[in-house]
Amino acid sequence: MALSARLLALRRSPVLLKLPPYLSALCILVGLGWLLILPLNEYSRQTYISENAILPGQVHTYFGGSEHNVFRAYRQEVYGLSERSDHERIAGLGNVMREQGLKVANQSYSWNVAGEEISGTNVYGLLKGPRADATEAMVLIAAWRNFEGDINYSGVALALTMARYFKRWSIWSKDILILISEDSTYGPEAWVSAYHTTSITPTANRNISSLPIKAGALQGAVALDYPAGPWGQRFDKLDIAYDGINGALPNLDLFNTAVQVASSQMGIGCSLHNLKDHSDSYKDRLKTISKGLITQSVGHATGPHSAFMPYHVDAITLKTIGDGWHDEMTLGRTTESLFRSINNLLEHLHQSFFFYVLMNTNRFVSIGNYLPAAMIIAGSFSISALALWVQSGKPTPSEGAKPMSPGEKRKQPEMAVVKDGKNVALVPKEELEVIERKMFIPAAVVLGVHLAGFIPLYALNHATRSNIPYTFITLTAATLILPQYLARHILSNLPPQHIFIIQSLSLLLLGATLSTLSTLNFSLAFLLGLLCSPLSFVRPLPSLRFSLEQTTRYVSTDDAAGIAANLAVVAPVSALFVAVSPPVVLWVVKGMFFGSGGVEGMLVEMARGWVAQGVWTGAVVWGVWWPAWVVAASVLWSGCWRRPADEV
Amino acid sequence: MRLSTLLTLPAALLPLIYAKEQHSYTEHLHLKPLPDNSLYAGFTFTSTTPYTAYASNHFRYFPRSLAQILQYTHTAELHLRFALGRWDEESWGSRPRRGSREGGNGVELWAWMDADAEEGWSDLVNSLSGLFCASLNFVDSGKTTRPVLSFEPEGTLEELQETRNGTGELRLLHGMLPHEVVCTENLTPFLKLLPCKGKAGISSLLDGHKLFDANWQTMAVDVRPICSTGGDCILEIQQTVDMVLDIERSMRPRESPIPRPLPIKDITCDETKGYNGHDTCYPEGPGGEMGWSLSSVFGRPIRGSCALGGGEEEEGFDITLKVPSERTVEVISETAIPQSTSSGSRAYRLPKDANFDLDLPHQALESSSSGAFALEQPPLYASRQLTGHGAERGGMHTLLRNPHPYAQRIVYLESLPWFLRPYMHTLELSGAGGKMEKMFYTPLLDRQRGTHLELLIEIQPRSTVEITYDFEKAILRYTEYPPDANRGFDIPAAVIRVLPNNATQDQGQGRDYYLRTTSLLLPLPTPDFSMPYNVIILTSTVIALGFGSIFNLLVRSFVLVEEVPVGALAGVVWRLKDGVARVRGMLKGGGVGKEDDGGGVVKKGEVVVGGEVRKVNGGGGGGGKKDT
Repeated sequence: MALSARLLALRRSPVLLKLPPYLSALCILVGLGWLLILPLNEYSRQTYISENAILPGQVHTYFGGSEHNVFRAYRQEVYGLSERSDHERIAGLGNVMREQGLKVANQSYSWNVAGEEISGTNVYGLLKGPRADATEAMVLIAAWRNFEGDINYSGVALALTMARYFKRWSIWSKDILILISEDSTYGPEAWVSAYHTTSITPTANRNISSLPIKAGALQGAVALDYPAGPWGQRFDKLDIAYDGINGALPNLDLFNTAVQVASSQMGIGCSLHNLKDHSDSYKDRLKTISKGLITQSVGHATGPHSAFMPYHVDAITLKTIGDGWHDEMTLGRTTESLFRSINNLLEHLHQSFFFYVLMNTNRFVSIGNYLPAAMIIAGSFSISALALWVQSGKPTPSEGAKPMSPGEKRKQPEMAVVKDGKNVALVPKEELEVIERKMFIPAAVVLGVHLAGFIPLYALNHATRSNIPYTFITLTAATLILPQYLARHILSNLPPQHIFIIQSLSLLLLGATLSTLSTLNFSLAFLLGLLCSPLSFVRPLPSLRFSLEQTTRYVSTDDAAGIAANLAVVAPVSALFVAVSPPVVLWVVKGMFFGSGGVEGMLVEMARGWVAQGVWTGAVVWGVWWPAWVVAASVLWSGCWRRPADEV
Repeated sequence: MRLSTLLTLPAALLPLIYAKEQHSYTEHLHLKPLPDNSLYAGFTFTSTTPYTAYASNHFRYFPRSLAQILQYTHTAELHLRFALGRWDEESWGSRPRRGSREGGNGVELWAWMDADAEEGWSDLVNSLSGLFCASLNFVDSGKTTRPVLSFEPEGTLEELQETRNGTGELRLLHGMLPHEVVCTENLTPFLKLLPCKGKAGISSLLDGHKLFDANWQTMAVDVRPICSTGGDCILEIQQTVDMVLDIERSMRPRESPIPRPLPIKDITCDETKGYNGHDTCYPEGPGGEMGWSLSSVFGRPIRGSCALGGGEEEEGFDITLKVPSERTVEVISETAIPQSTSSGSRAYRLPKDANFDLDLPHQALESSSSGAFALEQPPLYASRQLTGHGAERGGMHTLLRNPHPYAQRIVYLESLPWFLRPYMHTLELSGAGGKMEKMFYTPLLDRQRGTHLELLIEIQPRSTVEITYDFEKAILRYTEYPPDANRGFDIPAAVIRVLPNNATQDQGQGRDYYLRTTSLLLPLPTPDFSMPYNVIILTSTVIALGFGSIFNLLVRSFVLVEEVPVGALAGVVWRLKDGVARVRGMLKGGGVGKEDDGGGVVKKGEVVVGGEVRKVNGGGGGGGKKDT
């Protein structure tokens, strides 16, 4: 009783009521700071192999000798095929595998995105594990064109050589599928989706043929990316790509096995995100983390392996980088050892982490340590939302807040007597009043804006390539005008309470969505949280309008000066706010990463991701971020349109 | 009375003597090279016993251990299969023995039993489990089905029932264990059932290392009664081992079984390629038929025949080798071997006490002759896959392809474990030429009975039929998960029986053809077992520490030693001890210390030691043994 009474009294504490904005700011700083301390030794861990069955690097590898001659021949063969037509190439690759005694099949696919067709044909072979019972399988992928679009000569040749070499071993407990996909993104996507479906019904924008040959449940996939030409090129390091669609990650054990096999057994250095020189310093670790954050938050494919992740198949891509002294045989032995390790698995990879942030090939942070960063940032919105909710329940400050004119008599606030047991207190009546919150209009506004978010999502994913830039420019303009419109015609006419509730609801939704999202795609939630952080502090700006009576007669210099002063506040705030709007941020991202391709290239990529691969980053941008921004911007500018007479 | 007993013994033996010729044993090995350097080897061991001898526990070649199980469990006909690997129909053609001696991956068992089948079945699986060192005892009610259409008895069960004056109908029970890994420990008891126990005859080739290195292998035990019209029944046991060996792999020496890359000089390069050079070699497939011999493929030659009395005069041949007539075959044996050669196959009889080996050197055959030696096309191709991903739902997808120009009727049997819950309304037969004629369906009961689904389907000529249905994955109780829960759960193979029809009967293939799909791996929603474990351990420790100490503090009252009241029992014990001490003191004759502080309860040791010390000090004249 005493405790609850004290807590109730706390509700009215002026300190507490002023606290939330500071608390929100603190949350954002702590969230950011949290990420910055992760690279420290005290907060990260050395990677380790968790699944005992894997035994990485424990087997002797025999790939070598005459296999090198065969490899060179296959590489010449692949080079020869690259100069033929697509049809001949697919037949040729199939023939090589057929000669080795594999079961070979083709799969054609096509998608229709942005008025363009993405199509191709995958060719793949099944190596039946001699003593396997067809219940499990592993995949060796060599995309014909790698992620950069270069022909993967040596990668394909190596996969073919490995297939021939693997065929002679009787130790395989799982079947091995050799997949030579047309490209690195959509080919594997078409293949893996058909693998898990009976038959994909063709639609207007998708036509994937089913797979004639299948094996059992996929246990792991390794992609080779080695685009060295017919005369070979030695490489320096192996870059391991691990990001999946929508930020899903493969089991850390698979990644660790690859690193362990490559670095400990074969002596090949490994790298992440193309960072060749990693000195394991704080700076390099942070750099790796940030690169990882960006690729994960985008959620798009980063290699042939990415498509496998949504199907709970762990996969990685081994990509050769740099100029060094390792040759294809070393990569072959690495692959052999890696497949032997996957072959050892008795259970599906489950033992190690699925949620991690890597800062070096042998250092990571697990979910328990990094998740609070995004959660705290998401929490800052919830705190603001609660504060606004509380504020909306309080009566509008009466004229007492205004500066008093000299002759005015100070009005005594009405007092009321409050009794609690034997205690009696005299409290201003204002404090005890409970204002009824009118929810309908605010809820309708917030809901309407959120529903409107589907319009850009639909427009951008259904426009043709030539129309996309115009669509986006229109969208940018609309995004900047819509809040003005809302502010002018709806929000500026609403009582302040409604504005508080609108903002509270919008922030509440944002906080809840971001904290949920952070468990699915940490990076996206974290970066979006940072980009949204100004939304917590939005309050209606000072008015830029003349008061009603004055405009009819003349403009007083006082007013003009006041407006000028207000403008000095409004302009920079508005500029800052426009800078963090979704379209503007996308323009900036385009400038940073898609320099040459233009905005069109980026948006087509996004549309492809949405249509072909089921990447939902776009949905988060237009369905979560955009409405939150629009609501906040409307609130921000609603003050400008308010007449000074009814200014708060 | 005694006399009659004496007379009945010869009387009982009399039919045995008459039935002597019905005790027989034959064995046969069928060898056939297949494409892709594979070799099919089919071993058949058949022994028979008259039913009367069986009933009176008299056995010659029939294995006693198995017969006793059959008697005890009232099993009329038994089929047991151990299988591993896949038969590759596209490369190897039609299945050997029309699939009748094959099982699904793992272990499969079906039997016709007397009316009281449930109990007998449980006894049967448990006994066979012991006999064959297999986990057959896991075939419980949840894994047992009663197929209606899929199996027909091979023996003459009705006549047998009449002979035995048996009452009631015989019942068929069927169980599968797809997860069972067949290995050497199953082969050894299998060979023990043979009269020569793998020491002589063709069974001497059966070596665990080679058998289980095969690309496909299946072991079968089939017991069936054969009754003639006169009412004489014999019981036949047929044990078969079928396998497909990879010749190249089997011929690797055992001391270096690692398939290291061959030296470059041993690889035939395709020299027509423009880039062919000293360091670039496009490998060419080996031309012609690969050379092999029995001893190199199986690791040893056949050690003489398993000729058991009376087998001498039989004109049967032990080994049939099916190769084109141009193929050179050398027989390596110390004695002359009776053999017969016909087009496309050669037969040999094993020598009695000498080793026997066949050697087929590497030979390039005319393509025309190998064309004549074409593979027989199987009646049906089938494949079955799981579709979907995620932990909640999935789908089953079966493809059946009839490659022949005539329609075929098939029986499709699925026995699914209870944790796979099919949605029967989604069961669909799609594809141009499929028609479902009948369906037998027994719904599942959680933890008691699996689904039994049997479909009679007609497949039109040269058409493909798809059978699809969706299912839901059940969530198991945590104790129901096996230790390797994340591996997934094995779903037994579907059994497909192709019924004979007019078209096939014309071709002299009157019998049924069986094929089985591969077994499947079903991932079920699996909890993270280590996490609750960690949480339980941690919370238990915290609770134990916290609760223990707090509870201790709460229920205990703290008092000074002096304040502790003397309990009734403690008082009595103390007084007794005091008395004893007094008496002992009196007996020793010394003065007993009078200053014993009887009131305070202190620890026993202190009292006694204190007393004695005081006694010693006070008494003076007492024995000084404790005086130190």
